[in-house]
Amino acid sequence: MVVAGAAGFAGIVAMHTGGAPSILTGTGPSTPVTSSPSTTSPAKPPTGAASSAVGTAEQYGYGVLAVKVTVQGGRITDVSTSKLQTAEQYSQSLAQQVIPMLRNEILSAQSAHINAISGATYTSEAYAYSVQSALDALGVK
Amino acid sequence: MIVHAEEVMGTVVSFHVEPGECPAVEAHTALEAACTRLHELDDIFSTWKPGSALNRFRAGILRLPQAPPEMALVLELCDEARALSQGWFDPWAMPGGFDPTGLVKGWATEQALGILELACVESAMVNGGGDIALFGLPKNSAAWRIGIRHPWRPDALACVLKADRAVATSGCYERGPHLINPKNGRMLFRTASATVVGSSLPLCDALATALVAAEDAGPELVRSLDGYEAYVIGVGGEEDATEGIVFATEGVR
Repeated sequence: MVVAGAAGFAGIVAMHTGGAPSILTGTGPSTPVTSSPSTTSPAKPPTGAASSAVGTAEQYGYGVLAVKVTVQGGRITDVSTSKLQTAEQYSQSLAQQVIPMLRNEILSAQSAHINAISGATYTSEAYAYSVQSALDALGVK
Repeated sequence: MIVHAEEVMGTVVSFHVEPGECPAVEAHTALEAACTRLHELDDIFSTWKPGSALNRFRAGILRLPQAPPEMALVLELCDEARALSQGWFDPWAMPGGFDPTGLVKGWATEQALGILELACVESAMVNGGGDIALFGLPKNSAAWRIGIRHPWRPDALACVLKADRAVATSGCYERGPHLINPKNGRMLFRTASATVVGSSLPLCDALATALVAAEDAGPELVRSLDGYEAYVIGVGGEEDATEGIVFATEGVR
């Protein structure tokens, strides 16, 4: 994977608790874990050279991971898992690969006009961040 | 619409109730009764509460004739679900002893809905932490639209399905690896998410658990059961669905 080059790209993809990448959020509450070029030239406009940024390491369902984004010519050319700490074999097999895109995935649950969400059982703590809790809050109005 | 979220069974159960002609006070009374029932069932079947009837039954301290009558009923349902799932759902093959958790939550959620249905409300949706029981139709709509959670993006959907009675989904993305293959004890699966749509929520719940373990054999297993349909996502993002799954496309961006 291409990692080298000047960092003209500040975007960060991070895994939040539960596994959501917030694409291009800029810097989060914590600083990026690593950045492959040790010196950065912030004002440099995107060129043909590839550059990459690593998101903040985040706890998610199976452990800790950070996602690395490689940009070339102003376009994302690669997304990969950069840092991984998992206790489980299962987590390794899942997290070492790029998060797959589904055929018809709907990134904005809010736009789908749904009555409820079905998914693997969430804990009481995870409910607070779930789409179902948002639907419940909307229904109260 | 009456909306309520009840913390019980280690998760949160959401209620959306459309009273219709049912007086609001009766609808609220039914909702309270439904929540009481969920707590009662949690007290019996919790694997976390040391004194629960299930834990005492597993330890051999409590015998079936002395156990609450729900225990025998759940044993029977589990036996039936094990047979229908061709052994892929097997509460007797769990490492800590008999564990009906993969069916009980769906069963309890369905009972909560039943209490509302008996109160003659117009329609209701009860979501037991991701396992959904439905009755009637949502207001101004011809079908319930159920979003299937994206296995790796908690704020996104994999798709939207139409359903009229029950929908359950299993996977290891919320609480980590907790499912095992009852036939060989493995915990590593190529299935990230398995959803089953049908008429009985406890069976949907058990089948969704079975499908994660059954991997490639899953959809075929569900095809053998009349009135049940499956939608499965593999760990590589590949999707499979039985022919009767109705995807909602209108209004979905």
